[in-house]
Amino acid sequence: MAMRDITLGQYYPADSAVHRLDPRVKILLLIGLIVAIFMARNLVAFIPVVLFLILATVLSQVPVRLMIKGIKPLRFILVLTFLLNLFFLPGETPLWDVGFAVIKKEALLTAILYSFRLVLLVMGSSLLTLTTPPIVLTDGLERLLSPLKVIHFPAHEMAMMMSIALRFIPTLLEEADKIMKAQTARGADFESGNLLKRARAMVPLLVPLFVSAFRRAGDLAMAMEARCYHGGEGRTRLRVLRISDGDVAACVLMAALIFCVVACNSLHLY
Amino acid sequence: MQITLDHVTHTYQPGSPFQSTALEDVSLTIRPGEFLALIGHTGSGKSTLAQHINGLLQPTSGRVLMDGQDIHEKGFDKKVVRRSVGLVFQYPEHQLFEETVARDVAFGPRNLGLPADEIDGRVREALKKVGLTQAGIEEKSPFELSGGQMRRVAIAGVLAMRPDMLVLDEPAAGLDPQSREDMLQLIAQLHAQGATIVMISHSMDDVARFATRAVVMEHGRITMEGTPEEIFRHAERLESMGLDVPSVCRLGIQLRQMGVNCPDSVFREEQAVQALLDLWKEGKPHGHA
Repeated sequence: MAMRDITLGQYYPADSAVHRLDPRVKILLLIGLIVAIFMARNLVAFIPVVLFLILATVLSQVPVRLMIKGIKPLRFILVLTFLLNLFFLPGETPLWDVGFAVIKKEALLTAILYSFRLVLLVMGSSLLTLTTPPIVLTDGLERLLSPLKVIHFPAHEMAMMMSIALRFIPTLLEEADKIMKAQTARGADFESGNLLKRARAMVPLLVPLFVSAFRRAGDLAMAMEARCYHGGEGRTRLRVLRISDGDVAACVLMAALIFCVVACNSLHLY
Repeated sequence: MQITLDHVTHTYQPGSPFQSTALEDVSLTIRPGEFLALIGHTGSGKSTLAQHINGLLQPTSGRVLMDGQDIHEKGFDKKVVRRSVGLVFQYPEHQLFEETVARDVAFGPRNLGLPADEIDGRVREALKKVGLTQAGIEEKSPFELSGGQMRRVAIAGVLAMRPDMLVLDEPAAGLDPQSREDMLQLIAQLHAQGATIVMISHSMDDVARFATRAVVMEHGRITMEGTPEEIFRHAERLESMGLDVPSVCRLGIQLRQMGVNCPDSVFREEQAVQALLDLWKEGKPHGHA
């Protein structure tokens, strides 16, 4: 089933240096990486970013195949971005006359730069979700956002909702798969026919799925209340997050990366 | 109609870190008219096997044959298998979706493209078969019914397609004792009317009572196969697989351990009563506890 092919948000279990990093640090590192990617103004400045990503991927033990799989859904946007930039950006040095337009050197470089940015952004975020279980990720997010509680931002509630939603995605997928099979066994056809026919074919899938989602939600609320859940106030944690030497090293590396990117930018190369 | 699984292997999510082999080199022929029980621990591959019987899952390797024809071959209409083999999933009541009972039961026949009056006839027949004969029940919402009734509606929905073979995945799970008994009687009755039954069950008592043949699965392989009598003689082997024997067999085992001459071919209640009566009439059990 197609639903199984989504890499973003699919955890790859391993025990690596990257997996062991504190989730808060990993989220901040990703933000740092995004900043570095957007700061890089020429192709040379991307070299340190690429090196950083390669290092992180090798350390994480995540197969390169999985990383590349994450880019696949983006291929149309990538091609489109590349072509639009290539044909419509202004430039001075003509490279190649293709008949209906003239490709300019500046436009080609910018097109490569933008596509590269997209690929690196997706790979960076995939690396975070591949090496961090969703529950740990929301935990880290909650802690990072908790200073905002001063202005009554519901950091705990938001994180709890996110972890519950994430927790139920595989359950609901499995449920959908099962209901789909049950209806297929009764002769339902989800694949052929025009758009309207296919939309109507979804009813026998969606109604039972909603019924079961509501039932599960009710059960979960009951189970949480039975265990005295009353929100985030005064709640202690099972996983206490601690900053380790590895986290410090990773942060230093990120600072070095941003420095390198700035340095490369100022070299005024391509 | 006869379904044959020919060296079927099934691997879930091949090539991913979550790859798992659910079936390994399984060969099995389901004979017309038999009542086949599939026994095995949770995760032994029973449900995966059941989903191969009507072509919902395609084997990673091996073939599934319907009367000698490969059902996954190009040009073979899968609707033929789906119509002939009715599959009742675990908790089938979770698949109900229509506004009324009658419309839900009609879903299968409608998908077969039958004329309206034929569909009506089949709906009435199927509801009667599962014992839902209360006046006005056809027009009720299936979500207003009790759990046991909902399950019957779901089974009626499969029966309305008039399958020759019925595959049931733990049809009695989660029912109260009375609904359980009714459900089993319903299945026995369908079998008596000529349907081939394949039933996944964890209750060895039910297997002993109804099955004409049993297949035991462990780690995706068929490890034992035979009549219930042959299977339940190997109590120790079943226990080593984390399975049970019928309570009547346990009684026999205990009696033999105490030195009572109780035959090991006893696995049904009525047989046990007869055996105990015989022993009592002899008046001289060998041992005395």
